Amino acid sequence: MFNRDTWLEIANTVLSHPMRTFLTGLSIALGVFILVVMQGLGFGLQNGVKNQFSDDAVNSIWVNSGRTQLAYHGNKPNRQIKMRNSDVDAMFNQMDTVDAYSRRIRIWGVTMENEDQQSNFPLRGVDPDHQMLENTTLTEGRFVSRRDVVEETKVAVLGATIVEELFKGESPIGTYILIGGVQFRVVGAFDDPASRWENKMAYLPFTTAQKIFRSNDKVDQIILGTGDLPIAGTRTLTESLLSWFKDRKVVHPDDTRGVWMRNNNEEYERFQNIFLGIELFIWGIGLLTLLAGAVGVANILAIAVKERTKEIGVRKALGASSLSVVGLVVQESVALMIVSGSAGLVVGVGLLEIVSPMIDHEYFKNPQVDFRIALVALTILAIVGVVSGIGPAIRAVSIRPVEALRDE
Amino acid sequence: MIKLKEIDKSYVTGSQKLEVLRGLTCNIEKGEMVAIMGSSGSGKSTLLNILGLLDGFDSGEYILSGESMAGLNERAASKYRSKFLGFVFQSFNLISFKTALENVALPLYYQSIPRKKRNIMAMEYLKKVGLEEWATHLPNQMSGGQKQRVAIARALVGKPKVILADEPTGALDSGTSKDVMKLLREINAEGITMIIVTHEHDIAALCDRTIHLVDGIIDKC
Repeated sequence: MFNRDTWLEIANTVLSHPMRTFLTGLSIALGVFILVVMQGLGFGLQNGVKNQFSDDAVNSIWVNSGRTQLAYHGNKPNRQIKMRNSDVDAMFNQMDTVDAYSRRIRIWGVTMENEDQQSNFPLRGVDPDHQMLENTTLTEGRFVSRRDVVEETKVAVLGATIVEELFKGESPIGTYILIGGVQFRVVGAFDDPASRWENKMAYLPFTTAQKIFRSNDKVDQIILGTGDLPIAGTRTLTESLLSWFKDRKVVHPDDTRGVWMRNNNEEYERFQNIFLGIELFIWGIGLLTLLAGAVGVANILAIAVKERTKEIGVRKALGASSLSVVGLVVQESVALMIVSGSAGLVVGVGLLEIVSPMIDHEYFKNPQVDFRIALVALTILAIVGVVSGIGPAIRAVSIRPVEALRDE
Repeated sequence: MIKLKEIDKSYVTGSQKLEVLRGLTCNIEKGEMVAIMGSSGSGKSTLLNILGLLDGFDSGEYILSGESMAGLNERAASKYRSKFLGFVFQSFNLISFKTALENVALPLYYQSIPRKKRNIMAMEYLKKVGLEEWATHLPNQMSGGQKQRVAIARALVGKPKVILADEPTGALDSGTSKDVMKLLREINAEGITMIIVTHEHDIAALCDRTIHLVDGIIDKC
């Protein structure tokens, strides 16, 4: 069925009406082009937002405090809620398990010096799990360890920007750096390409940072890892923690500012749902566009079969079997679909390839179509080609040579 | 070669039943050159279609080269067509976007003969009808007589036992008609049975005998 002669036949018939073939092909190519470009845009959006999320671990709950909105138990509104070391201990005590956690304090603009280089950078006091919870990628050395926190060692992990500015890109590991006038040994360096801001950060053991830079027992933020707890579980956990914490800090149960928690699991799920919606929408539009093209092809083939009634009659008189007549029409349809569809695919992918590097936006990255989608599109095209060829093919088969050859 | 016995054929159009052939019986021997004549509506085209396995018949017996042709399905019919029969039409029915050579080679394509061999055979038959120099020409670049000779070459290339010609000279002037008939005669001389439907007496006169059809029955055999 797929020999050279068959294709010569198809090429012959298709090219005998170049304009018609071109226009039909154009509608198919356009359909595929739209499908591909929309897929690309959808992917770009998805990549961008995923990239935003890659900053933090998806399976985490963030505990924050702020100012109260509502009066409660004799307390006036607008009261600053402070989290303290004792709150964190009490919180962990009443939880069944703590998968991973990090307390966190942040100090803005601390002078950091190495030899004659000096500059101001922010720093954070954190626990070891912070590396996982914040998705920090080490380029060398190690992160803050449990022992560092317990023994309050003076060690620092530096972001790529600090290494570049203070160490001129040389390895800082094992050297000493002055942070706020105190000497710290550099034990690690990291680079977080997703966030330029993050790279200006120095990480210190939580206890050390609290003692030296705060000299009180306040905690800015608590991050809890939820491990592989399912989303429903994280929701209940967040709720129970929140009500327990509000109770402890004497905050009105309906207050949303005094104590609040962000469940990244939920946020991520929300985005996942949005993406699913967008994806379905894109496929919907793409497939409908293709369908319109397919109807066009079926229509053209029906006309072509009508025009070729006599020719098909002659072929039958010369010994063409029904199968070969069906093949003639269906293969023509599939060939038309695949060739023009591929053209649309190539142009669409090409456009995305050209445009992709020019786009650099927080929420839009790498608008590319992966190979699987291209394969799926081609498969759909082939199926659509067969389906739209079947109607006209049946018509062609039902042509009786008697009627076709009657001279009028 | 061909035996027809009590062939009935009718067409149903709406509530009316039109009897075209009524108990037609006729024998055509191998190597004969027979003309079928009859006024329009006499059933001669229907007879040719039945002989050519392009149409079925209601009852009776049709034996072609010793095999019964009753109740054939589409597939079997097309197989017998390419095995036994060659067609020549009034309006040539060449495929317009194929060259003379490709047109002649088409029946061989349906017999799954490889391309090279097919083209050699087709060329041979084009030579036989004196058109080897026109092999690469499209039908619309040729005269009526040339087109009909291409069509004859196409009918011959499958090495049929019988050639069925439906008004082969109907679209040709008298001079060309004579040439075409001469060619058909030469082919017949090689042992191929020739059945020619015509309404022209001088064409029929060039055949061995004439079958006259009147209202679906044979008037004179």
